[in-house]
Amino acid sequence: MKLDRRFLLRGMFQGSAATMMVPFLDCFLDSKGQALAATGQKLPTRFNTFFFGCGLTKSLWVPKTAGKDYEMTVQLKPLEAYRNKLNVFSGLRIPFDDNPNYQHWSGVAAAATGISPSKQGQFDSKTIDQQVADVISRGARYKSVAAAASGNAKESYSSLGGLNTLPPETSPLSLYTRLFGPGFQDPSSPNWKPDPSIMVQQSVLSVVAEDRKRAMMHLGAADKARMDQYFTSVREVETQMATQLQRPELTAKVEIPAAPAGDMIVNNALPNIRKNVPLMSRLGALALATDQTRVFNLSISEPGSQIFIPGDSLGYHQSTHEEPIDPILGYQPRVAQYNVHSMELFAMMLKELDGVQEGDGTLLDHSLVFAYTDQSFAKIHAVDGLPILVAGLASGRMKGGYHIAGDNSTVSRVGLTAMKAMGVGVDSWGMNSMETKSPFGELLA
Amino acid sequence: MRTKFVLGIAAIVACGTWIGAAALEASGSQVVGMRRLTEHEYRNSIADILGKDIVVQGTFEPGIRIGGLTAASTAVLSITPAGFESYSKMADTIATQATNEEHRKRLVSCQPKSAKAPDDACAAEFLGHYGLRLFRRPLTAEELRSRVSLARTMAKSSGDFYAGLRYGLATLLQSPEFLFRKEIAVPVDGKAYALDPYSRATRLSYLMWDTTPDAELLKSAEIGELNTPAGLEKQVDRLMASPRLESGMRAFFSDILMLSTFDNVSKDGIFYPKWAGPMGASAAEETLRTTIALALHENGDMRDLMVTRKTQINRMLASIYGVPFSFKGEWTPYEFGPETGRTGILTQISMLAMFSHPGRSSPTKRGVALNEILLCEPTPTPPNNVDFSEVNDTNGPRKTVRERLMAHANDKTCASCHNAVDPLGLSLEGFDTIGGRREKENGETIDVSATIQGKSFSGAEGLGKFLYNNPKYPACIARKLYSYANGLNSEDVDSSAFKQGQDAFQKSGYRLRALLKGLVTSPQFFNTSAPVQEASAEHVKTASP
Repeated sequence: MKLDRRFLLRGMFQGSAATMMVPFLDCFLDSKGQALAATGQKLPTRFNTFFFGCGLTKSLWVPKTAGKDYEMTVQLKPLEAYRNKLNVFSGLRIPFDDNPNYQHWSGVAAAATGISPSKQGQFDSKTIDQQVADVISRGARYKSVAAAASGNAKESYSSLGGLNTLPPETSPLSLYTRLFGPGFQDPSSPNWKPDPSIMVQQSVLSVVAEDRKRAMMHLGAADKARMDQYFTSVREVETQMATQLQRPELTAKVEIPAAPAGDMIVNNALPNIRKNVPLMSRLGALALATDQTRVFNLSISEPGSQIFIPGDSLGYHQSTHEEPIDPILGYQPRVAQYNVHSMELFAMMLKELDGVQEGDGTLLDHSLVFAYTDQSFAKIHAVDGLPILVAGLASGRMKGGYHIAGDNSTVSRVGLTAMKAMGVGVDSWGMNSMETKSPFGELLA
Repeated sequence: MRTKFVLGIAAIVACGTWIGAAALEASGSQVVGMRRLTEHEYRNSIADILGKDIVVQGTFEPGIRIGGLTAASTAVLSITPAGFESYSKMADTIATQATNEEHRKRLVSCQPKSAKAPDDACAAEFLGHYGLRLFRRPLTAEELRSRVSLARTMAKSSGDFYAGLRYGLATLLQSPEFLFRKEIAVPVDGKAYALDPYSRATRLSYLMWDTTPDAELLKSAEIGELNTPAGLEKQVDRLMASPRLESGMRAFFSDILMLSTFDNVSKDGIFYPKWAGPMGASAAEETLRTTIALALHENGDMRDLMVTRKTQINRMLASIYGVPFSFKGEWTPYEFGPETGRTGILTQISMLAMFSHPGRSSPTKRGVALNEILLCEPTPTPPNNVDFSEVNDTNGPRKTVRERLMAHANDKTCASCHNAVDPLGLSLEGFDTIGGRREKENGETIDVSATIQGKSFSGAEGLGKFLYNNPKYPACIARKLYSYANGLNSEDVDSSAFKQGQDAFQKSGYRLRALLKGLVTSPQFFNTSAPVQEASAEHVKTASP
């Protein structure tokens, strides 16, 4: 996608954000986001997901002891700085029920929905971020925002169910433009005022919505559901507009950087992903801090990660299948290296969230980050023992610092725990063998 | 009965607006298909309706490959909130351009009484005209009324007649009636249904030109011409005679050859520094140019696509092919010498690079892709617990990929698929992961012999001849083209559905035009069955509780 930069800049100058001309990259790399005292209102609790492909290496990531004060492991080491705001879950089970083990998919869908998927590539319900967004997003501009750090528009694991995934932004520039391009007004600006053009657009949308009855006529069941989804989307954009007419309640004083001069290279080469993840995470954090959205989803790869380190002719996914297990070490050394990179990328996201001060803590303190993957042992497409990490303290509703040894609990217990911590009123989560009513109660404050 | 219905429509159209909803109910019509416009279809439609100088800027929701075609997903995907947001913004910027001072002279045919005040008659003319073009059918009275009313309100509040048109047009551009191609069918006898004239026009146009029906095609729908064999043939011949057939067939080949997914292919710059940014786009373009030149410009035998040494290259591609590029212009026709071992699209950079790893070729990936793309034989996913270590250990005694892959043959489960897949790919091992020629791998001379279904051949040229002579290849093109036209999963289509097209294809010596005409003039092409009414297995369950 090509963006007209002049168009972008014009938008920026019209908005108050143009007052801040911090060079994009400098700001992203150096700025800590100056903190100001919150205005006193209750901070919303935000939800994030972090998706990484191909799992971790069991002998290198699972802590030896359960509970608090576990000894840090080799593969979790990059997350050391956040251990008090982090919970790690091992030994979780994913029963397939009557479905096959869809390679690089069953684990993704089970973690994100608590349901063993009935088809490859398809979620059998809304994913957890959308279930949370249904409850917490009222009042934010966007119900949710997704970004794919490798630039592939198909790498979103945020879904309304079925085949419809919510498209991600595929470069830092496109993410920037969606969040802070035309239509964005800095809520901290003294000149903030409702944009009258929004009211005009509302009239346009109401004409579109009026066609609903006729549009739904004479459709078969499947097309009726698709048409219904279209009008649900219309309603959501209507809500978005209504929200934009209200000045957002500021939770942090952050600087919105100026538009980037050019875009980054986005592909599967690890060095590029390492550049893009901090940028995208930073934009996501700013979006959360300025209430542009309360749900941010970041993926670094697809399941069966196509990430590669230049010079490695196989790349991550192929290495998981083809690299021999070293007889002395007992694991695949190159795969283990890729695993660590995944955790380093996760740490980059947490750094951005933890770097924004708001109220009595940081954005990470007022968030939950659900990090998950597709396989526990990618070499053989195993899913039992799927690594899941949940960071953030959910505004005090979640305790941190634990290693939960799952003891064959179903993976859906993590989802239920996260839902509870987010204040979503559910008693059970997941379906069939994974339906559970037991959150990890020791984590809930 | 059909004639009566068509006359009925014509009469209503003549009255100015189409009371579509009432007509639908009266005739027992059903919406039998709903295809989300692809990015190309959307862009081409806007260019045709409003002009090529209207800038379309925004993101489109991606499709998914189903049965080897992204087109099949357009019949099952919907529009998500983020997708609609983007469509809504695009609608506004397009409508703003279309009604600005620069464009209104050309696009607004009537003169308002005052440029500063509402004028319902002129607004209705404008919105009715573009409504017909965008919805590919006349607007209903209600659809038109609500838009004229919006235009009036907006013109009044802004003191600008054209602002009213802008917002009215924007509602059309983000309507599901534009963003989805609704296929409406009417009952022809007790059980069977056939597409109504406007849906016929739409299906033909998007298939053959990759764009919205032009005024003549809509007219021919309106007067019922498309419902007669002679009228249909006349329009099909017209569409096929136009150079725009190229756009339609480019879209088709881009889909079946997976060229649209090439954007996400990365190569390792350390091993292959020649592979730079736009290489993927150039490689895809080469394959499309080769295919279109053969299929349409030369009206050639489609089997030659497997063996021709003719291609078109640019400077970037020339560097990988090792061809000195001393030509004027960006692209130039080129014919490889017989000594190069190049054979049709099989050895073009696109096909070789797309189905390889970032730093290494993959006979299995290439074999799986060729089986699915050219022979319509998808490979099942491998079993979950497979030890690939043997394949990878380049330091062991097995120097070449072939030797390493042969380890699979010892395992029955693996062998059942790999024996069908690997030979195709192994014969292409004379070409590296970005499509360059090579003789050796890790110091060993590469063996490019292959045996499949009892037939032995050697190298890419042997593979080309094997495919040229394989009747499954042209049958697969016929199957995919039919599925593409109808938005179906090609694996679920019964071969009787495209038999007439396939027969014409064979009889003509495998000319693409014969296949296309045979398909769309087949009496079955517009026949359909009523859609399933009750919730199917596709229905999305809601998570508990």
